[in-house]
Amino acid sequence: MVRSLLKPRFALSRRAAVLGLGAAVLLGGAPAFAQETIKVGLVAALSGQSAKSGEAITRGLEVAIDEINAAGGVLGKKVELIRRDDESNPAKGVVAARELVQKEKVAAFFGGIDTPVSLAIVPFANQAKVPFISVWAAGTGITRNGAAENYVFRVSAVDELVDEAMIDYAVKTYKTAKPGLMLINNPWGESNEKGLKAASAAKGLTLAGAEKFDNADVDMVPQLTRLKEAGADTLFLIANVQPAAQVVKSLDRMGWNVPVVSHWGPAGGRFTELGGPSAEKVHMVQTYTFSGNLSKKGQTVLAALKTKYPQVTTLADVTPAVGIANAYDAMHLLALAIAKAGTTEGPALRQAFYEIGSYEGLIKSYAKPFSPTNQDALSKDDYIFTHFKGAEIVPVN
Amino acid sequence: MARFVLPLSILLGAAALCAFCLSAESYTLFVIALVALTVIVGVGLNILLGLAGQVSLGHVGFYAIGAYVSGILILQGWNFFAALPVAMLVAGLVGALLALPALRVSGPYLAMVTIAFAFIVEHGLIEWKAVTGGANGLMGIMPPSIGGHAFAEREMALLSVVLAALSLLGFWMLSGARLGRAMRAVRDSEVAAQSVGLNPVGLKTLAFALSAALAGLAGAVFAPLLMFISPGSFPFSQSILFLFAVVLGGAGTVLGPVIGALVVAGLPELLSDLAEYRLLIFGALLLAVLWIAPEGIVGLLARLKRTDPRPARNRATDLAAFLRPAAAPPLTVDGIGISFGGVKAASGVSFTASPGAITAVIGPNGAGKTTVLNMIGGFYRPDSGTIRLGAGANLAGAPAYKVARAGIARTYQTTQLFGTLSVLENIRIAGADAATAEALLAFVGYGGPVAARADDLPHVDRRLVEIARALATRPRVLLLDEPAAGLMRADKDALGILLRRIAEMGIAVILVEHDMTMVMGISDHVVVLDAGRPIASGTPAAIRENPLVIAAYLGGTQTRARGRTTPWDGSRDAVLSALRLTAGYGAAPVLEDVALEVRPGELVALLGANGAGKSTAMKAVSGLLRPVSGDIVLKDARISALPAHRIARMGLALVPEGRQVFPELSVRDNILLGSSARSDTPDTATLERELAAQFARFPRLKERAASRAGLLSGGEQQMLALARGLMAKPDILLLDEPSLGLAPAIINEVFDVLAELREEGVTILLVDQMAALALTVADRAYVLESGRVVKAGTARDLSGDAALEAAYLGARPAAQ
Amino acid sequence: MLIVSAIVSGLSLGAMYGLIALGYHVTYAVSNTVNFSQGSSVMLGAVLCYTLWITFGWPVTLAVVVALFLCALFGLVVERFLVRPFAARGSNAWLMATVAGGIILDNAVMFSFGKEPRSLPSVLAQKPVSLFGAGVYPLQLAIPVVGIAVALGLHVLLNRTRAGKRLLAVVQNPSAARLMGIDVKRAIALSFAASAVLAGLAGMLIAPLLSVSSDMGLMFGIKAFAVAILGGIGSASGIMLAGFLYGLAEALITALLGSSYTQILVFSAVIAALALMPNGLFGRAAVKKV
Repeated sequence: MVRSLLKPRFALSRRAAVLGLGAAVLLGGAPAFAQETIKVGLVAALSGQSAKSGEAITRGLEVAIDEINAAGGVLGKKVELIRRDDESNPAKGVVAARELVQKEKVAAFFGGIDTPVSLAIVPFANQAKVPFISVWAAGTGITRNGAAENYVFRVSAVDELVDEAMIDYAVKTYKTAKPGLMLINNPWGESNEKGLKAASAAKGLTLAGAEKFDNADVDMVPQLTRLKEAGADTLFLIANVQPAAQVVKSLDRMGWNVPVVSHWGPAGGRFTELGGPSAEKVHMVQTYTFSGNLSKKGQTVLAALKTKYPQVTTLADVTPAVGIANAYDAMHLLALAIAKAGTTEGPALRQAFYEIGSYEGLIKSYAKPFSPTNQDALSKDDYIFTHFKGAEIVPVN
Repeated sequence: MARFVLPLSILLGAAALCAFCLSAESYTLFVIALVALTVIVGVGLNILLGLAGQVSLGHVGFYAIGAYVSGILILQGWNFFAALPVAMLVAGLVGALLALPALRVSGPYLAMVTIAFAFIVEHGLIEWKAVTGGANGLMGIMPPSIGGHAFAEREMALLSVVLAALSLLGFWMLSGARLGRAMRAVRDSEVAAQSVGLNPVGLKTLAFALSAALAGLAGAVFAPLLMFISPGSFPFSQSILFLFAVVLGGAGTVLGPVIGALVVAGLPELLSDLAEYRLLIFGALLLAVLWIAPEGIVGLLARLKRTDPRPARNRATDLAAFLRPAAAPPLTVDGIGISFGGVKAASGVSFTASPGAITAVIGPNGAGKTTVLNMIGGFYRPDSGTIRLGAGANLAGAPAYKVARAGIARTYQTTQLFGTLSVLENIRIAGADAATAEALLAFVGYGGPVAARADDLPHVDRRLVEIARALATRPRVLLLDEPAAGLMRADKDALGILLRRIAEMGIAVILVEHDMTMVMGISDHVVVLDAGRPIASGTPAAIRENPLVIAAYLGGTQTRARGRTTPWDGSRDAVLSALRLTAGYGAAPVLEDVALEVRPGELVALLGANGAGKSTAMKAVSGLLRPVSGDIVLKDARISALPAHRIARMGLALVPEGRQVFPELSVRDNILLGSSARSDTPDTATLERELAAQFARFPRLKERAASRAGLLSGGEQQMLALARGLMAKPDILLLDEPSLGLAPAIINEVFDVLAELREEGVTILLVDQMAALALTVADRAYVLESGRVVKAGTARDLSGDAALEAAYLGARPAAQ
Repeated sequence: MLIVSAIVSGLSLGAMYGLIALGYHVTYAVSNTVNFSQGSSVMLGAVLCYTLWITFGWPVTLAVVVALFLCALFGLVVERFLVRPFAARGSNAWLMATVAGGIILDNAVMFSFGKEPRSLPSVLAQKPVSLFGAGVYPLQLAIPVVGIAVALGLHVLLNRTRAGKRLLAVVQNPSAARLMGIDVKRAIALSFAASAVLAGLAGMLIAPLLSVSSDMGLMFGIKAFAVAILGGIGSASGIMLAGFLYGLAEALITALLGSSYTQILVFSAVIAALALMPNGLFGRAAVKKV
């Protein structure tokens, strides 16, 4: 759908405009000329259903920024985070992105959990020539957007790759032959429906069917019954925690014990609390978890989180770890790029992303994470499969 | 030239903003464009809400439709400027379509229809994937270019500002034009709008379509401005923000949406640093504004502006030529009748109203006079009979606006002016040009400013303006429903002269009126109704002497006497007294300087014709009408400032006019509810005993104890209301028109009970228009005329007094 | 099995819609206004119940009672500050004001309660039982029963007690009610409290099937409003019936056609129903007077 989109058209003036009196009242004053800090932005859901995700990203970014600033900042300047709420509304997201870029003059900005919002921002970021780094939304088209000069990077999972990984995992673990799809009825579900169908076709699997449901549905028995009757032997689940919990409960009510392999949605909340004990049987894709044997880096970051945010006491408070970990690594990678570019000018910064050498991150050791042909820092091999154990997410075995 | 200040300032403002856009920064431009688009939607919503008075909670649906139509067409390779009108048209058509179900409902029902519409659009966009791209939306919607120059933020902002300015100018023109006035007329009073020949359904449909088209226009620009649209871009909450923008700025004002859009689309920018607290603060601000500026900011400022004091003048308009009908056919009403729920409100009513003459339709309260007017005016569909103007088609059952267009104009018991329109606009809406409108105002004797808001007029002026408005339709027949009600004597006399002059223009005037002095003084022909049936017709003089008519009004002389066996001799300390009591509704006092008192065990009657102020007095004393001036004292406590429920608890029980039973509750429950006001809390056994006592007094109620009160006959309901009042064990019982609408046999039963109560020592203040009847039970009486006590005395002295009869039927010609 | 499951779900959802819609009915009947933050009352009931019971560890009955009491308090606040000032001057700005009140409450709760959905445990929603071969939670069967019981209880309260009859008197004829010594203003305030309690109760009942979060109320509020309108906002029994119809329609459309078209079909049906019957399916028309 995304074709050779946008040639840059809007020449962005970087100088401060002389604001009229009326507009000054409206917009709250003119931006300053000299920047004492390097500003980075975040456009994410800070209110509403997905507010928790915005909070997780914020924490990951802030911990990284604290580390960077403690080490003297970048280019001799402190890094400052400016956050905007997108209310999970694409139009709001674009307005917020524009404000961050055009008014706040951020060097680069991060995106939140909602794929539609990020997709809406992508054309603008490319036009404005300001790097936009997705740290959660996994929609394939976000980074693979077809722009000649692509300013969109990602330190997160990619739906297409997740779908392949899930199929591989299911075939390997459960000898899956006829999977059924349980998809949330939104763009995320749509994008994964395509990916899962392609990936299962590639593996020569026939689908038992693809069923959809809505966020507020309380009863998935009809959909599951149809899949069961079609002979599904494994379920692939694409949904956030609340509807995912309803799927688990519906399975319980049906008394159907079937392997469930899930995208990372359920990790976004208290899945076992909402879905009951059977929720522990669901295996999910993650990029990171703070459970198990933590690396030194992991321990440091966890300690920093606990110090900075007193509300964080148990591991359950740092789920979903993906938001924190992706944001943390992305912020460090951005700092490296800025340092390499020696400037915050967009085009130079974009080039610098490709020149990042190696970075010992939280999720993995990055080596040349970005290239013009692959703007995704994480690959299929970086995903781990996990499941809930009580309130914690632990790797499978 | 003052009227061009507004459009000029819109143009200047837009020009200044455009000039500013030339040097502004891109984000500023973007925000300006968004605010301008919100202005456009706001103007559209303002047409619907501000002019036509309809609420829409689904306007984001039209916005989305506009955006998708333009987005899809642009992606298909259409030129943006070609796509723009198509988007407007599609949204407008959908608006007209939605108006079909929406206009059948009102209030919360209408809100629901529009909410449902917004959700259908949202989910439709998600599901119609092949065309709309599903939930992922449409990407890469490029802004237009002219002559190879591609639009960027600056050009889009300029375009949006220009379109917003155009829509504001359009709104200004619309609201000043006949069409806009017609919409406001429909909003202010749908009833009156029909009676000046306006078609409310057509006008509201048009308002819906225009409103939707403007929202569609804004959406069409929104798509290439953001270059991306998806269903998530048009959340339901946006509808609420649009509505809020209009309410905040001031619905119906030209500039209101500008202020509203600045707050709704601009304020979030100010709050953006507060990120997650934004909605919290926004909600609080919204509330604060609603509390402080409920009429909207522009509306608030507009109220401060002084009205142009210029009065109406006739500048050489030949009104006689304007008003004199080309043809002057008589109105023939033949055997019309109507029933409501099995009850015959009118039947077999026939008369002919000749051009150039005044035909009066009179009768006691509840006789069905207004029902007859409503049938002629097209508000009720008669069950039988015909209504013809000359040899024309049968008008019975035709909709009101068609009746009006056929040449039958009317005024209403409670004046139905278009309250937010100026006096002049009220007249012009009915079809007269400005000069004629002024001439008409001068003709009816309206002396106030022509620019005054109709809602701000004093009562007498409202009557006059309403008559002028009816005349502006150039009627052949003029129906007047109690035009003298609430007027002072001098005003009534002037009105009488005016009505004669109108008749002399060749118009058939049909007058329903209680003021007998006026009726007898100016009518050529009088039709008398009683209980929905015609009982007499003829010249005023003949009617004045007709015994049937006198009986219908005064209760006849055949009523049996119910004098006390032993004369009243109680304490002189009044239970209830009123001093200098003045009360009314709005500007005109209905009751002036009234003094009366009721002593323990006395039965005092308050007499007078309809409209004399009897019921108003009862409402003022019982606390239903507040505020009042003067003193009301109940058992040594001043109650003139207390609300009704407090007065009831102090021992005053009113049995209100029209019985006012609780229709869905059982007879038993109705009676028991009467005990709610008592200060003692009687136990169940006591209540049952007292209930049994009431049933003993009213055996008919006992038989029907379990049935719903609404199913009782009028007489039974009156007894029920009486029993209910007595359950309060009141220190004084007030009875308002207990004989109203009852058959003579039942009336006698009711009054026998009153005599009984009197003998038992219950203190009673009785209002009844059947004077002779009331005097059979009363110890003393006061006679009210035009809101003043004109006579007081014992019942014996007053019965047969000529002044009393005159108060009802007007003075006898011989006595003049 | 598929149909049984859908019917059970439809009935429990329908009972919820009915209860919340009764809240709209109560205030509309008494004062001709409705509380558009009714969805927030649903949320408030669930959130308070969770907080008092799970977070504070109070006994469950006490938590429920106190939560409902606080809901009533919220209803009183809404009436006093968001409805009365506007209704008193004949303005319909209470519509916007109650919407604003809902936004404020939702966001305030988001900060105090937290941003993620929590689960309200219920012994009735853990082990499924078999009904005609379909597994259902006992709670799903209990909710319609409770819903009908509450509606009947309300009916009895109104029609069998003195206080209830006084309220009915206000509904049927406010000015005559004043003449009986009944304080109409208080009755209106009371109706808003009752309305919020009904919504809060619905929130507590449905929460174990869904989850507790600050934004759980919005769609419930809107759908219940549709139910109230469909039932004819003046008719309590019509509303309960419309609630069940609405819930069943939703569940059956989802089960048979898939969830994609549920909202489109249901909301279209709402418009169509109102176009054909402008006073709702079970409402009565009033005689117009001039």
